[in-house]
Amino acid sequence: MPCGQVDRGRYMLFSSITFLYYFLPVTLTVYFLTPKKRKNLVLLFASLLFYGWGEPKYVAIMLLSIAVQYAFGLIIEKHRHETQAKAWLAASVAFSLGLLGYFKYMDFFIANFNAVTGLSVPLLRISLPIGISFYTFQILSYTIDVYRGDVKAQRSLVKLATYIALFPQLIAGPIVRYADVAAALESRTHSVRRMRLGLGRLMIGLSKKVLIANSLGELCALFGETQNETVLFAWMYAAAFTLQIYFDFSGYSDMAIGLGRMLGFDYMENFNYPLVSKSITEFWRRWHISLGSWFRDYLYIPLGGNRVTNRRWLFNIFAVWMLTGLWHGAAWNFVLWGLLFAVFLVLEKFWIGQRLAAAPGILSHAYVLIIVGVSFVLFDAPSLTEAVRRLGLMAGAGGIPLTDTVSLYYLRSYAVTFLLAAIGSTPWPKHVAERLRTGRIGQRTLGLAEPVVAIVLLLAITAYLVDSSFNPFLYFRF
Amino acid sequence: MKRTDITENQETGTVKADRAIVALVCGLWLLLALFAWIKAPGSISLEERRTLAQRPALSVRSVLAGTFMDGFEEYAKDQFPARFGFRSLKASVRYHLLGYKDNNDIYIEDGIAAKLDYPLNDKSVQTALNRFQWLYDAYLEGTQTNVYAAVIPDKHYYLGARMDYPSMDYDRLFSMIEDGMPYAEYIDIADSLTIEDFYRTDIHWRQERLWDVAGRIGQALGTGIASPEAYVLTEADELLQGAYYGQSALRLIPDRVVYAENTATGYSRVFNVETDAFAPVYDVDKLSGRDPYDIYLSGAAALLVVENPEARTGRELVVFRDSFASSLVPLLLEAYSRVTLVDIRYIRSELVGEYVDFVDQDVLFIYNALLLNSANVLK
Repeated sequence: MPCGQVDRGRYMLFSSITFLYYFLPVTLTVYFLTPKKRKNLVLLFASLLFYGWGEPKYVAIMLLSIAVQYAFGLIIEKHRHETQAKAWLAASVAFSLGLLGYFKYMDFFIANFNAVTGLSVPLLRISLPIGISFYTFQILSYTIDVYRGDVKAQRSLVKLATYIALFPQLIAGPIVRYADVAAALESRTHSVRRMRLGLGRLMIGLSKKVLIANSLGELCALFGETQNETVLFAWMYAAAFTLQIYFDFSGYSDMAIGLGRMLGFDYMENFNYPLVSKSITEFWRRWHISLGSWFRDYLYIPLGGNRVTNRRWLFNIFAVWMLTGLWHGAAWNFVLWGLLFAVFLVLEKFWIGQRLAAAPGILSHAYVLIIVGVSFVLFDAPSLTEAVRRLGLMAGAGGIPLTDTVSLYYLRSYAVTFLLAAIGSTPWPKHVAERLRTGRIGQRTLGLAEPVVAIVLLLAITAYLVDSSFNPFLYFRF
Repeated sequence: MKRTDITENQETGTVKADRAIVALVCGLWLLLALFAWIKAPGSISLEERRTLAQRPALSVRSVLAGTFMDGFEEYAKDQFPARFGFRSLKASVRYHLLGYKDNNDIYIEDGIAAKLDYPLNDKSVQTALNRFQWLYDAYLEGTQTNVYAAVIPDKHYYLGARMDYPSMDYDRLFSMIEDGMPYAEYIDIADSLTIEDFYRTDIHWRQERLWDVAGRIGQALGTGIASPEAYVLTEADELLQGAYYGQSALRLIPDRVVYAENTATGYSRVFNVETDAFAPVYDVDKLSGRDPYDIYLSGAAALLVVENPEARTGRELVVFRDSFASSLVPLLLEAYSRVTLVDIRYIRSELVGEYVDFVDQDVLFIYNALLLNSANVLK
C-alpha cells in the first residue's frame, strides 16, 4: 500500500483476484454497454461499491464530504466576487481538514498532548477511512479552484461525486485536479487505441506491484524478523524498501492511469523515474508529482513561494515539508522525514546545488540514492527509536558483522530481482523500446511482442496472486 | 501509392493492431474470469493438505461486518481455475527465471525438496519441554517407567544447513531437549541418518533406511532390534508425491513407499482408540489414498495401541510422538508385547491418563525438529 496510508481493515486492491477477475470485468462490460449519458452513474456506483468493499460505513463519510463540498462549490461560485466567498471557502477548507484531522490525526494530537501535559486523555482509536488523504486533497483543490475562478462549479452532484470517488485514483492517487477531468466528465471519447494503451499501462503497473514490489516487501519483512543483524542485510533492506515503495506507488499510479485511460480519462503522470535524479530538488520534481504540485499550488505559492525574503522562504519550505511529511502519516518519523528533505532542499539552494550540477553524474546519483534510502528507513520505521537503530545497523553500530550466511543467502536469492528493479527504475527500457520503434523491423517485432508480453504478464501476475493464499499443512486431518 | 494512401494504410494497420491486441488480451482475461465464476468449487487441496475456502455467506450483517469481503478474496484465490497450474507457474518464474533459492520456504537441491525453518524458536522448544515436564509430573514420576528422549533432525539438517542456507541452531535444539529433560535418557540419533534416508518429496524418513536409527534406539532401550535380514521389504506400486511435492509446485521425481514386514508386524494388530477399530500394522489400502505414508499404522491418530502376540518379551513401550514414529515403531515392535502411541497434537495431555496406565513401561519421547520449532500444536 503506498506511502503512509495505514492499512486498517480490508479493502479491494487492484492487485487482487476479486478486482481483476470479478469487479473490473463486470464494471467495464456494464460501462461500455451503457449509453453515454448514464456512464457517469455506472462509474459512480462501481466506485462506491469498490470503496465500500473495504469499509462499508465509511462510504457515508465520503458521500457526506462530497455533498457538503458540492454545496460549498455552488455557494462559493455564487458569491465569488463578494467578500463572503472567502468565508465560505474557509468553511469548506475547515470542513475537509476537520474530517481529515479527526480521522487521521486525532490520536496523534492526543498522544502528544498527553506527553507534554502529563495527562492521560484516552485515545479514540478511530480507524482510518482508506483514501481519505487523497480524496480530501482532491476536494480541497476543487473548492479552491472554484474560488479562484479557475473552474466553474459542477452543477451535477453525480458528476462531482464521480470525479471525487472514481475508483482508479480514489485510494492511492494520483491526486487529480478537477480542472484536468472537468471536460471528460461532460463528454469523453473511447477507442480501441485508448483501450490498448490503458491495458498496457495496467499490466505494467500490476507487474511492478505484484512481481517486484511485493517480492521486495518480503525481503523487508524478513529483515524485520531476523535475529541476524549484519551491515549487508541493513543496506539490502534500505535498498529493498526504497525500490519497493517506488514500484508499489508508481505501480499503483500506472494502474490508475491505465484504468483511467480505458474509461476515457487522462490523468497526469505521477512518477518520472525519480531514482535517476541528481539532486533532491530534482527528485521531488519526479516523485509523487501530483502531491508535490498540490502543495506547491495550494500552500507554497499562497504563502509567497520563493518570492519573499530568505527568512520567509525558509519558513515556507519547512512548513510545506513538515506538512508533506505529516500527510504521509500521523507520526513524528513522517514529520522528520519531510523535514529531512527540507534541509537538503535548502542546502542545495544555498550551498551545494551548483556543485552537484557540476559533479560527475555517478556521484550526484549516489548522493541522491543514499539520502533517499536513509529517508525511507526513517519513513518505514515503526518508531523513532527503531529508525535510529536501523540507521545504526547500516553504519555497523554495535560491532555487528559485515555479512553472515543469512544475509548472503538473501543477497543471492534477490540478486536478479534487485537488478531488474534497478533497471526498471530507469528510463532505459523505455528508451530501448522507443529506439526499436523507429525501425521497421523493430516496430514489427514490438507489435508482435506486445500481446505476447501482455498475456505472459497477466498469467504471471495471476499466478503470484493465486499463490498468495498458499497455506500448507504437513498432515491431512480433516 | 500516394502518400495519403500509405498514411491511411498505416493508420488502418495500427487500428487493426489495436483491435487484435485488445481482443487477444481481453479475450484471455475474460475467459479466465468466466471460468472463475462458473467453476464448481473444490473442497480440499491435496497439495496443501487443507480445506479450501468456500464462498462466504452473503447477508447484510456479513457485509456490514466486512466478513463477506474478507472471505471472498480468500475464496476467489483458493477456487481460481487451474490453481495448481498457476502455482507451478509462479514457482517456475521464481526458481528458474528470477533465481530465488526458495519459494514459500521450500527449496530444492539435487532433486530433493526441503523446508527452510529458521531461526530456532526458543520459546517454542520451551513450550514443548514444559508439556513433556507436565506429562512426566502427572504420569511418570514415582513409577517404574524408564524414560527416553530423542530429536529427529529434519531434512534441512542434512541438506541446506550444510550448504549455506539459513538454519536453526540444531546443536542448541539438541542440547535444550537433552538438558530440559533430566528425567529422560537422551538418545542422539542425528549421526545415524543422511539425506538419502529421507523421501525426496516428503518430510518423512524412509522406513527401509532406518536400521541404524532403530538400532541406536533399541540399544538405548535395552531391547535391541531384529536383524534387517529378518524383514521382507516390499515396494509399493503407487507413487508417493509427498508433502513438499505439492507445496513446491514443481515437477519432482516422486517417491515410492517401502515397508518392512516380519513375523511381529504380521501378527500385530493396531487398535485406534478414537475410531474403536482394528487395523494391520501396514494398512496397504492407504497406499492409494491421499497420503501413501499413512500405510504406517494407518496415519495420524491421537491414540493407538499395537498388540504383538509374538513379542520376545512382555515389555511395553509408550511413545509420545509425531508421524515419524509411525514408520519407526514397526522396527521396534519385536521386543514389545504392547506399544502405545500417543500424539498430543490430537489428544490433550490431561486425557492421556484415562487411556494409559503408566507402571513400568519404557517411555520414549520422539519428535522431529520442525515440530519442536512450532510446538504450539502440542496440547
